[in-house]
Amino acid sequence: MPAAARGDRRGAAHRDRPVNTVATALAVAAGSAASGSAASLISGRVRAAVVGVCTGVSGVAGCCAGVAALGGARWSAELPWLLPLAGVHLHVDALSGLFMAVAGAVVAAVSLYGVGYSGHGRGGAASRGVQGVLPLFALTLVLVPAAASVSTFLVLWEAMALASLLLVLAEHRERPSVRTAGVWYAVMTHLGLVLLLTGLAWFAAGAGGEDFASLREGAGDLSPAARGGVFLLVTAAFASKAGAVPLHAWLPRAHPEAPSHISALMSAAMVNLGVYGIVRVGFDLLGGGARWWWLVLIAVGGLSAVYGILQAAVSSDLKRLLAYSTSENMGLVLIGVGAAGLFAAAGQRGPAALALGAALLHVVNHSAFKALLFCAAGSVLRATGVRDMDRLGGLRARMPVTAGLFALASLGAVALPPGNGFVSEWLLLQSLIHGLAVPGLSTAIVLPLAVALIALSAGVAAAVFVKALGVSFFARPRSPQAAEARESPASMLAGMGLLAAGCGVLALVPGLLGGALDRAVATAGLTGAGPLTGGGLRVELDGLAARLSPLWVTAALAAAVVLAAALPRLAVRRRSRHVRRRDVRLWDCGGGSPTPRMAYTATSFAEPLQRVFDDVLAPEQDVDVTPVRESAYLVERVRFQHAVPDRVEHRLYRPVLAALAVTGRGARRLAGGSVHLYLGYGFAVLVLLLAVLAVGW
Amino acid sequence: MSDSVFTQLLDLACGAFLLTAVVVLWRRELSVIVDVFALQGVALATVPLLIGWHEGRWDLAAVAAGIAVLRAGILPHLMRRALTATTAPPHADEDEDDGASYGTNGPYGTASWDRTDGAHSPERTDRTDGTHRYRADAGEARETQPLVNVAASLLTAALLTLLAYAVSRPLIALDPSPATRALPVGLAVVLIGFFVLTTRRRALSQVVGFLLLDNGITAIAFLATSGVPLIVELGVSFDVLLAVLVLQILTTRMRTAFGTTDLDDLRELHD
Amino acid sequence: MSGVGVAAVAAQVLVVVLGTPLLTGLMRQVRARMEGRAGAGVAQPWRDMRKLLRKTPVTPTGTGPAFRVAPALLVATTAVAAALVPLASTATPVSGEADLILVVALLALGSVALALAGLDTGTAFGGMGASREMTVAALVEPTILLAVFALSIPAGTTNLPRIVEGALHEPARLASPAGLLATAALAVAVLAETGRIPVDNPSTHLELTMVHEAMVLEYAGPDLALVELGAQMRLTVLLGLLASLFAPWGIATGASAAAVALGLVLFAAKVAMLGAVLAAAEVFWAKVRLFRVPELLAGSFLLALLAVTSSYFLGGV
Repeated sequence: MPAAARGDRRGAAHRDRPVNTVATALAVAAGSAASGSAASLISGRVRAAVVGVCTGVSGVAGCCAGVAALGGARWSAELPWLLPLAGVHLHVDALSGLFMAVAGAVVAAVSLYGVGYSGHGRGGAASRGVQGVLPLFALTLVLVPAAASVSTFLVLWEAMALASLLLVLAEHRERPSVRTAGVWYAVMTHLGLVLLLTGLAWFAAGAGGEDFASLREGAGDLSPAARGGVFLLVTAAFASKAGAVPLHAWLPRAHPEAPSHISALMSAAMVNLGVYGIVRVGFDLLGGGARWWWLVLIAVGGLSAVYGILQAAVSSDLKRLLAYSTSENMGLVLIGVGAAGLFAAAGQRGPAALALGAALLHVVNHSAFKALLFCAAGSVLRATGVRDMDRLGGLRARMPVTAGLFALASLGAVALPPGNGFVSEWLLLQSLIHGLAVPGLSTAIVLPLAVALIALSAGVAAAVFVKALGVSFFARPRSPQAAEARESPASMLAGMGLLAAGCGVLALVPGLLGGALDRAVATAGLTGAGPLTGGGLRVELDGLAARLSPLWVTAALAAAVVLAAALPRLAVRRRSRHVRRRDVRLWDCGGGSPTPRMAYTATSFAEPLQRVFDDVLAPEQDVDVTPVRESAYLVERVRFQHAVPDRVEHRLYRPVLAALAVTGRGARRLAGGSVHLYLGYGFAVLVLLLAVLAVGW
Repeated sequence: MSDSVFTQLLDLACGAFLLTAVVVLWRRELSVIVDVFALQGVALATVPLLIGWHEGRWDLAAVAAGIAVLRAGILPHLMRRALTATTAPPHADEDEDDGASYGTNGPYGTASWDRTDGAHSPERTDRTDGTHRYRADAGEARETQPLVNVAASLLTAALLTLLAYAVSRPLIALDPSPATRALPVGLAVVLIGFFVLTTRRRALSQVVGFLLLDNGITAIAFLATSGVPLIVELGVSFDVLLAVLVLQILTTRMRTAFGTTDLDDLRELHD
Repeated sequence: MSGVGVAAVAAQVLVVVLGTPLLTGLMRQVRARMEGRAGAGVAQPWRDMRKLLRKTPVTPTGTGPAFRVAPALLVATTAVAAALVPLASTATPVSGEADLILVVALLALGSVALALAGLDTGTAFGGMGASREMTVAALVEPTILLAVFALSIPAGTTNLPRIVEGALHEPARLASPAGLLATAALAVAVLAETGRIPVDNPSTHLELTMVHEAMVLEYAGPDLALVELGAQMRLTVLLGLLASLFAPWGIATGASAAAVALGLVLFAAKVAMLGAVLAAAEVFWAKVRLFRVPELLAGSFLLALLAVTSSYFLGGV
């Protein structure tokens, strides 16, 4: 990024009024989060409500700060007294504002939902510890994008990871699987931290300063190899946080096991910060890089998109399905970010800005619909205690509002026209299609493949969400728990309603975000290339003949539906107009009224897809036939087992874990139990070190 | 002929050339594969014809005619004979064109007659039994279970084509002209031919794979050098003819020795 | 321009809605004649539809809003697509919005609605049909989008009227390898999307082979009429799309009413011819097994990818 632009920005910060909107809002957020955390000491039923309101206020304040930053306000501060040695550096610009606004909005809606969710007092979600940590987690989600030095960033990042870990473990008393999930999450997030620490420390050492401004200036002095190394290390850490395959193993474990409102926060706000990190370091701090960086990123994104959605397709656990779908969506975002980097590396700022804008818009859209999906899944879980879709069904009649909200969010997730996901996927496809004008062999080969992968993942996503909605909410209940489900309390519905409103606005008038996206993209270093014009009612691409008016399309669809529904009535004018719909028995090819056991389950729905992608998924099936003792021809019992294990995990993690176990067993032999032995080890190492020093000098 | 029309026609010929290679991967019936191979010969012959016409070199027309006769006429004819020899038992003359008529049913005509299982095992026992002959013959007349399944083969072909384009970029950059720009097509056919050679089981598909490879090389020669001398082409063609004759004899021998042309059975020779 | 343009859009939708049963009748008639039967006549689907529309609407027990809304949504998505695609004229008020990706997504929305309706009945057939339909739809998507990609390269946009106008001005585009490959790929995708013979048999009622029919088994009366109309309109619109993209001659580019009328007549003729050819070809084809469909689609995906690469590499860099 040119030095002039940076100087400009700093100038703007100084010219700000003494009372800065961003600063005030962030102070309010911090204050209310602290009071929320303190309010967890209250006992009784009010606790959840007070904590929820405080967290919500903190979220709203964070969202306001983000929106103000997106509107052009900037704020930076140095608090040397807050953190020993390094001090705290904060800076809020449009890019951090975008992620801050998204996190704040999600926090606000989800904490309202959480009041009802944890208010019923059952389980660990209502416990004092969880209620105390929740506001702090929410605050870190808002604050991480504001960090402006390596140490501040790492401290906030680790605080966020620890808080989320504690929250994931909330229900560890109820299910042992929570503990396993917690261990996986703890190990992977800390390995990520180690990578991040190494990468950023390397960067800071090379650049000669640890605040982001000096990193930005020093990035040019680093050798290309060092820049590449920093990028790889940092990207691995951030991609793992974003749930990108093959570093995703924690995600499908932790998300289903956490309480649902925590899952919503993690999936809709925390995961985004991985993308934020890649964009911040790759574009802003390192200032872009070689083609291979971005090709790696596109490959990771493509793999995550397709593998994530295929795993979601064969999953019958509702929350696991949603978690894998998060992997898929983050994959799409990474494809967009990678394409932006690729175009920028070729010197094409227009397409690069478009691709990055599309990726950021998809982050926003994904947060809206995924938070809603997780909340709705949480309502189902709360009402039935069942996550297995094979045992759900028939909830539409019992929880109509939740079913409607889930349907709305699914529409966003399948990327079909009136949904909000369609807008960002359309932008992403446009950016890839028009990116072919960028010269270079890699673009010519990578872009068609990327388009094909996006299309495949969109197609499978349609099947996935048809399955999720149709199998869990439609037809008849397949278990007594599902049959006795009741609609959720008002506060949960209100929280979901807020998210649904967000989805609706994003779907119908995405143009409203145009200016904010342009500013965020400009902050990332692609200045002077505003990709979106048109504003308000439609999305129009600058310099390309591509236009989308979601509002008009939706209006036309609605009108056409009304007309089509009226068509039969127009045709039978002659006969009595008041023909009422008659209720009849299901025909079922003359089979009479089918029982719920005959309905398609999630497993059976996914079977054809699983067979088509047999080579990729490698499902395990086992049929065990036990004959009656007297005769081999009479069968007493048939046991059928079916599982689709995560193949990447099997192939990649198991060997590593096995190797670690072997090493551990070897190391155990060193520990004989004798104190003399242990003291001896220490002495030997000391002597050895001294000897090395003596020889070395 | 104007330049743009020449480019257009040349691109079309090359497109058809590549497409026929893809169809060879796509289809299972050996008879259809042979027919498609004949079509590819025609497409290949068009290339020197067009170049000759454009540059006014009439000796290339003779080369084109030679290619057409050999690759669209003689070689497919030989393969068809090998096919009828292997599929139809000597005493059932009326079934001779069976294989061919399945193929002409249309692109999807016989896909529903799918017998992936049991196509191998019953051959030896059923061959003499008239009622089960269809099954036995179908096993011989079709590429029932290639080592890599058809969908994956097609996706691999897509990647191979991309690879061909990527590799031949520097070559094109040396002398960009409509002919050299189509060079990757030839390379892609070479790669697809090699792929057919490695993943198909039937001896006849192996022959087709080998010939695809050779067609690809010929196409590269024409596109890169705008036509090779007649004598070189004659020599190459003679070699190819000889190779096919040898392979045909080998196929017949295999058939008499093992009762099938599945090349995996050659492993028995090793033991 | 706006008066004629609005009229052109309305005429396109009307022609598709009203003419679509005739296309189905024509195709059935062609098929019947080729199979040596007399056939029921071209207007039979019209009579069927009138009969169905007059029946009392029924709601099977246990079905909900998804089941009720799906038929209307299917017809609506197809009608909006018919308005967007430049079937008869490229100079319409909606030509700026007529994005190819949008059209594809709208049609996909119709199949999603129908699949949900199939699951909503809670019957085994409904679920089976929904599951198969979504599997095929998921696999068709990459082919379609790559074909879109290939088509948009020479035109530099995914805007349909622009692509059609470009092809009208420069017919050589259509005969290029990229154009032909994209045509072939899109044609296979259209067969899969509309449930025609190699993928699904629209006239089957055998449990094991049904895809589309299995989803809509529970519909009766006016709802069934809408479902049938929607499915037939889908075929018409997709054939019309193929005709517009690869045989754009006669599509009006200006605001003259005569040109639009001529465009409409030619559109009807082109679609009728395509339909007749398809019906004739179907006589000779057999439906492939469900698990062979991926092979077919992988093939068409390869064609689409080749179309993209050849239009990029042969197009002169």
